[in-house]
Amino acid sequence: MFAASALNERNRRVEGIYKALFGLMTVLLVVPVLIILGVLIAKGGPAVSFEFLFTPPTDQGRQGGILMPLIGTIWLVVVALIASVPIGVAAAIYLSEYAPENWLTRLINLAIINLAGVPSIVHALFGVGAFVVFFEFGISILAASLTLAIMTLPVVIVATRESLQAVPMAFREACWNMGATRWQTIRKVVLPNAISGILTGVILEVSRSAGETAPIMFTGAVTFLPFLPTGVLEPTMAMSLHLFTISNSVPNMPDEIKYGTALVLISMVLIMNAASIAFRVYLRGKKKW
Amino acid sequence: MTTLPVLLLTIGCGGSEGRTVIQNRGSDTLVNVAQAWAERYGQINPNVAVAVSGGGSGTGISAMINGTIDIANASRAMRDSEIEAARAGGNDPIEHIVGFDALAIFLHPDNPISSISIAQLADIYGENGMAEVWSDLGVSVPGCGSDEIVRVSRQNNSGTYAYFQEAVLGESEFKLGSRDMNGSSEVVELVENTPCAIGYSGLAYASEHVKMPCVGPEDACVAPSVPAAIDGSYPIARPLFMYTAGAPEGVVGEYMNWILSDEGQCIIQDMGYAPATPVTCG
Repeated sequence: MFAASALNERNRRVEGIYKALFGLMTVLLVVPVLIILGVLIAKGGPAVSFEFLFTPPTDQGRQGGILMPLIGTIWLVVVALIASVPIGVAAAIYLSEYAPENWLTRLINLAIINLAGVPSIVHALFGVGAFVVFFEFGISILAASLTLAIMTLPVVIVATRESLQAVPMAFREACWNMGATRWQTIRKVVLPNAISGILTGVILEVSRSAGETAPIMFTGAVTFLPFLPTGVLEPTMAMSLHLFTISNSVPNMPDEIKYGTALVLISMVLIMNAASIAFRVYLRGKKKW
Repeated sequence: MTTLPVLLLTIGCGGSEGRTVIQNRGSDTLVNVAQAWAERYGQINPNVAVAVSGGGSGTGISAMINGTIDIANASRAMRDSEIEAARAGGNDPIEHIVGFDALAIFLHPDNPISSISIAQLADIYGENGMAEVWSDLGVSVPGCGSDEIVRVSRQNNSGTYAYFQEAVLGESEFKLGSRDMNGSSEVVELVENTPCAIGYSGLAYASEHVKMPCVGPEDACVAPSVPAAIDGSYPIARPLFMYTAGAPEGVVGEYMNWILSDEGQCIIQDMGYAPATPVTCG
């Protein structure tokens, strides 16, 4: 019926080329991830076992497992969350629901973007000056976690604010028309509808905190400590710093322990990310709009 | 760091239930033996937790100046300016020699050189040195096509770096263009895999895959070893230091005494260092 003109032909060819090109770029994006995971699983997989996770490292990490760094990372992340989630969520609620559109709000938004762009080593030095020295927390979980909390606050604020703003305005208007106050509206309508986005932000913060080395290595994480921490004013070992140490300052370190430690660290982060995606998919299924 | 508020603080009593934490930070050369001490001491005295960190002698010394640690490890002596700065903050650093370390020179196993003099090392590493290629030293290295001497060194806050400069280069600076590694193990690893390379680090970091030439004049050179570091015949051996803030007392004092006891000194000897005092170990 329609004979394909030369122009149609050409357009289709060009279309095909671009589609292939963009597809190739997408594949390229996945390749490094697969290679990293593949190498880690092949070389580190045999080392990882229940015993490896729950045995203290001995002989500078050449023997034993990763109990102290593993528990230490959990301490650091949990204390960082306790510090940053309330502040971050409250700030996001203010910025999304209350803040008037003026120069101050714009300045605050700019500050948040800039805070997100500060290199982690600068946060580390700030943490040493503020928490370790000035507030006299010493080299401790508290100092390290507060440094992590400040570093990850923008993640929580941005994720929370975006998920609050994704709640349709009509929901709020309907609620206000029933005579509800702003806070009642936020509590009963906006927050329940935004919870998936907030949790995504929180989980992203967890995975970022768990992987960071620079902010904790001067503020609270130590190379070696033969005990589990008993409180937030004690220092601790941490997975990321432990991996750094056993990779660059322990001679004759068995390769499988290095790869095994890296595998556990990356698994923690990936499991967190996967949980966040799964949770979001689940909650999106329940959305009513 | 000096612009940060410097306050005197005592860390130590961090934990609950009477457990005391000793903060110990500094030299990468000492970090392995410091960990071995901490591990053993934790079994002897479970009420004291020794937290060890590396980062380099400079890291430990600046933490001592800031007052954030109890013991600084250093593979070089503190400079007068650093001692002044620490005193100004209320931490009077007291020096303890806890052992000695032979600084080994590392070559790729294929490198034919088996002895090297201090003058040759200065020629390779020093800013005024003329040796740029292996043929300047009269050898050709199999597998090193470019003939270039790949100089492996340490980052500039390392005590090993500072000691090497003092002992080998004297007043002059390092030649630019060396590969400056962050840890002794990294130096060894790079030299293992690079036929053109030469590097240096504490003897305790040597692996089976590097060659260690004897050091000194060709007819009287000495191989790096713990006995040669003890008797002083090895030309580039250095003391290893721990600094405490003020005279060590309480748990820190007990820990320092234990380190200098036969048991502590046998641990450092087992790790490939020379003990500070002669010991006989089982």
